Amino acid sequence: MTAFRRRGSGGRIDRTTTIPFTYDGSRLFGHGGDTLASALLASGKTLVGRSFKYHRPRGFLSAGVEEPNGLFTLGEFGRTEPNMPGTLTEVHEGLIAKSQNAWPSPDFDVMAVNSLASPLFGAGFYYKTFMGPFKRSWMFYEPFIRKAAGLGRATEQTDTARYDVINGFCDVLVVGAGPAGLATALTASRSGLRVVLAELDFELGGSLLSGTNESLERWRKSAIEELSQQPNTRILARTVVQGLYDGNQALLHTRAVPGSVASRSESLRFKTIIHCSGAIERPLVFHNNDRPGVMLAGAVRTYLNRFALAPLKQAVVVTNNDSAYATAFDLAEADVAVTIAELRAAPSGDLLARAAQLGIAIFPNTGIADVVGTKQVQQVKLGGRHSVTIDCDVLAMSGGWSPNVHLTSHGGIKPRYDEKIAGFVPGEFAAAHFGAGSVLGEFGILAAVRGGEAAARASLEFIGHKKSVKAVEPPPIRDDRAYGISSVWGTASDAKKAFVDFQNDVTAKDVRSTHQEGYLSVEHMKRYTTLGMGTDQGKTSNINALAMMADLRGLSIQETGTTTFRPPYLPLTIGALAGRSVGHHFRPTRRSPMHDWHESHGATFIEAGLWMRAWYYDWAGPSPETAYVKEMQLVRKGVGIADVSTLGKIDVQGPGAAEFLNRVYVNGFAKLAVGKARYGVMLNDDGVVLDDGTTSHISENQFYLTTTTAQAGEVMSWLEYLLQCHWPDMKVHVTSLTDEWGGMAVSGPKSRETLQLAFPETDFSNEGLPYMGVKDITFDGATVRILRLSFSGELAYEVHCPANFAIALWEHILRAGEPLGIKPYGLEALASLRIEKGHVAGLELDHRNTLDDLGLGKMAAKEKPFIGKELRQRENLQAPERRSLVGLELMEPDKKLRGGSILFAATDEIKGHGRGYVTSVTWSTELQKFIALGLYQGGLEHEGEEIIAAFPLKNEQARLKLVSPHFIDKEGARLHA
Amino acid sequence: MLDARSAMASAKPFVSEALTLREAPDFTIQQLSWFTTADEKSLKQALGAMPLRVGSTAESDHGLLLRIGPRQLWCFGKLPEFYGDVLVTPLSSSRTRIEVAGAKSRDLLTHCAAIDFHENAFKPGHFVMTGIHHTPVTIHCIAENQFHLYALRTFGLSVWEWLVDASEGLTNA
Repeated sequence: MTAFRRRGSGGRIDRTTTIPFTYDGSRLFGHGGDTLASALLASGKTLVGRSFKYHRPRGFLSAGVEEPNGLFTLGEFGRTEPNMPGTLTEVHEGLIAKSQNAWPSPDFDVMAVNSLASPLFGAGFYYKTFMGPFKRSWMFYEPFIRKAAGLGRATEQTDTARYDVINGFCDVLVVGAGPAGLATALTASRSGLRVVLAELDFELGGSLLSGTNESLERWRKSAIEELSQQPNTRILARTVVQGLYDGNQALLHTRAVPGSVASRSESLRFKTIIHCSGAIERPLVFHNNDRPGVMLAGAVRTYLNRFALAPLKQAVVVTNNDSAYATAFDLAEADVAVTIAELRAAPSGDLLARAAQLGIAIFPNTGIADVVGTKQVQQVKLGGRHSVTIDCDVLAMSGGWSPNVHLTSHGGIKPRYDEKIAGFVPGEFAAAHFGAGSVLGEFGILAAVRGGEAAARASLEFIGHKKSVKAVEPPPIRDDRAYGISSVWGTASDAKKAFVDFQNDVTAKDVRSTHQEGYLSVEHMKRYTTLGMGTDQGKTSNINALAMMADLRGLSIQETGTTTFRPPYLPLTIGALAGRSVGHHFRPTRRSPMHDWHESHGATFIEAGLWMRAWYYDWAGPSPETAYVKEMQLVRKGVGIADVSTLGKIDVQGPGAAEFLNRVYVNGFAKLAVGKARYGVMLNDDGVVLDDGTTSHISENQFYLTTTTAQAGEVMSWLEYLLQCHWPDMKVHVTSLTDEWGGMAVSGPKSRETLQLAFPETDFSNEGLPYMGVKDITFDGATVRILRLSFSGELAYEVHCPANFAIALWEHILRAGEPLGIKPYGLEALASLRIEKGHVAGLELDHRNTLDDLGLGKMAAKEKPFIGKELRQRENLQAPERRSLVGLELMEPDKKLRGGSILFAATDEIKGHGRGYVTSVTWSTELQKFIALGLYQGGLEHEGEEIIAAFPLKNEQARLKLVSPHFIDKEGARLHA
Repeated sequence: MLDARSAMASAKPFVSEALTLREAPDFTIQQLSWFTTADEKSLKQALGAMPLRVGSTAESDHGLLLRIGPRQLWCFGKLPEFYGDVLVTPLSSSRTRIEVAGAKSRDLLTHCAAIDFHENAFKPGHFVMTGIHHTPVTIHCIAENQFHLYALRTFGLSVWEWLVDASEGLTNA
């Protein structure tokens, strides 16, 4: 069935180009300049979808951004985008569009059976129906309801489109390129300042595109030509200003040019913004006002004049305002027989006179009683003073115009109801915000042009621009006529299917029942009925619903208020926000200075935070389960080398450095001798352990502080915070050296021998470099810092050097130690060795444990103050039932011990949170069994007891023996060797 | 002398008509920090120049100076002898330097950081400490359409990969 015919001439389409596209599997054709909507209408597709709830046949309501019905799924495979309005989609070769919410097709939709049960499906149906009969009934129904709900279906395939996100800056942002926006942009552009003109259509001109006035067209073209030649002006077509945020920031999204796959989001900082976002026409509410062919009057005019689509023969126009007469007149001039149902008593004389000239019949005090035709309008039954039935192809309706106050409200500014135009206008603008044209309720073109220029001048003045700017020549047209409107919202007092919100199938009856149920606030009405939700966010429905609720409550519309406008203005695909931060670029990758070496020498990597760390090496085996054991044995029996560059490293310098560290760490650093290192623990100011590490005294006023890998950034921030906010007078500077220095641990009984071979001129004896000693040497032109300390529990050293030389030094040590069998070991072995030794690490330092919990309480100095000293004394932090560090040995070799297992006493019922949990597990090469560290209530008071580790996720339990966390070399003989 | 190895040894220059990305190695950075105005004066005397504001640069007898903080600057050159409480922290290995050049270099940078890179706002000699790909990066405009980006060494390759990806989007657009 068809309602429109393509005219032989006129319009803005390019008849010389014919563009094939696919719609529901059929090959159709459009012209350059067509939207999907206009091309479908030209192809006889008036019915293009089904409604959300009742599956009623639906056609296009509008020709623009407000479209609630004509939504399509575009593209296929990974490029599938659901819910795209056909009114904004440009026809292009390769376009694949599918109708939504209909199966097998909009013409014959199986789910249309829903409409038979529609009396049951009123507002609140789901809330009332699916709560019983049992307590958890909703939980049962919910998955089914969710499956049935929603518009369109997103693809589960990877999106292959490219989304870029950029940052922009400008002096003046102009939103909308209608007559007001063009005049604004011209004025601002002539100042020489940086101007951005954002227009959501693919053509500039706004309402001018829907008219036929040649003077206006010349003016539009001339304005665009001038603007496009200004280097200081960026014209962004296809661009939606999606949201405004604090600090004069706007989010813009520019759709991909047809045929390309790149769309772009821009975070734009502006000095001033000028709202020229226009207005949106409202429908009227009457019985069957949703039938395909019932359209907004302005849209009918747009299809007629912009897309050269005229109703076949006859059209009815119903209106409560003057604006629809332009549509009626243009239709009549296109040889369409037009009848006007005028809801008002008497339109103004000039309109009556023109209508008479064109042979248009006007029925005053008359509305629409019913629309006949299910899949397309066939007849209209007038109601009111005149009860007449009229054949027609299209019913054009106008309930007046609603200024587009969405963006102007993003800053929390509530719109204000203006009785004069029967619509909301922006409330008082915030500083730097200006407006012009229809958005302010000024609907005339000359008013828009003059307003635009004035707004631009005010904005330039706000910025402080002093130079004179050439005036904008207004288009040579007659003066604007006054806009006449009567606040008549429809004739739906007893209509059953008079739709207020087309997209959500909300009827006037639903609004009435909402009121009867006691949901009086507009916010409650929205949630109860879903009115104003969905992809169109109530762009055509809000005012009508507010007016009805105001009437039912006996309040004014202003008193009834609006719901809250929030970004985004239009639905935005997540990809547009994510930009290039997807896949490999989702987050940055951090690589050690020795990364390339590891990669080319058989390392398998593992992500540790942002770091890529060598997990294990292929010399030790093909899988981590076996390789790390071999690597551990290497360190326990010979010598291994591990990359520890990921440790946080901080340069602490200044006359106050020692005192600063003395305050930061729980143990003393004031008297640490130059050339010595000390293990230190620092607390948060709430008395809980923040981090640990080793700090070396390099020279009188310089220390070299190391942190755990995980806490490196946090410790650095913490130290800076303390210096800047708590102790600004301390003469200390801190600088992160994590990137500057690479580090390697040389560990094992043969480590001294290895380093002696590597650095023959350095004394590595106990006298030359005792345990916790540090010395800087120069080797082959590079500074090398050697610290004697051990994470593995063996005789060990850390060798640090500037990162540029790290690979060369690493290779040098490997070469030197080759006769001793040195090989690299990875993170898995590194972590396992420390478990055997009983050293705490990130899994235990999780910001929940105290010094005492970790068995480090004796480190805390009694005399000196330090951060967290007072608050660590809190009763709860000293409670005897707190969990503290223990060692655990698996007693059942055939069972598995897992990190995170919950610990219970042998006599406990295995239920709930237990008495503690396992933090770290490893196979012990020394003990030949699985061992673990954990936190357990009462800690070592239970040493020797048998306890239970439960892992409920896998329904596993295992018996453990609770032991000291120091599984090997408790006396420290090895590391002092 | 030990061989110096770049963090970007595996990266190949990106060259297109309007945009070139390449590593610019072989530089030295010494961070100088001080505590008092007197220290700053003596430092200025020793260096022969001093950028006055944070974010400004100066050419000294000892190389380029970038004022990175109220009491900190970076010196790209050999330092003179200092007296007083001027602290020196070598940072030459801590950064990877990436050179971005060409007519589309400013376009590329708008993909990277929320800084106004317009030619009237970010001119030769200006630098800014900002972030790219969630990591700290210092961007220094060295000529009309030529920039040095100082990324943290450990993130250097990741930032490079990000830049190349953004560049491909620009040059294919």
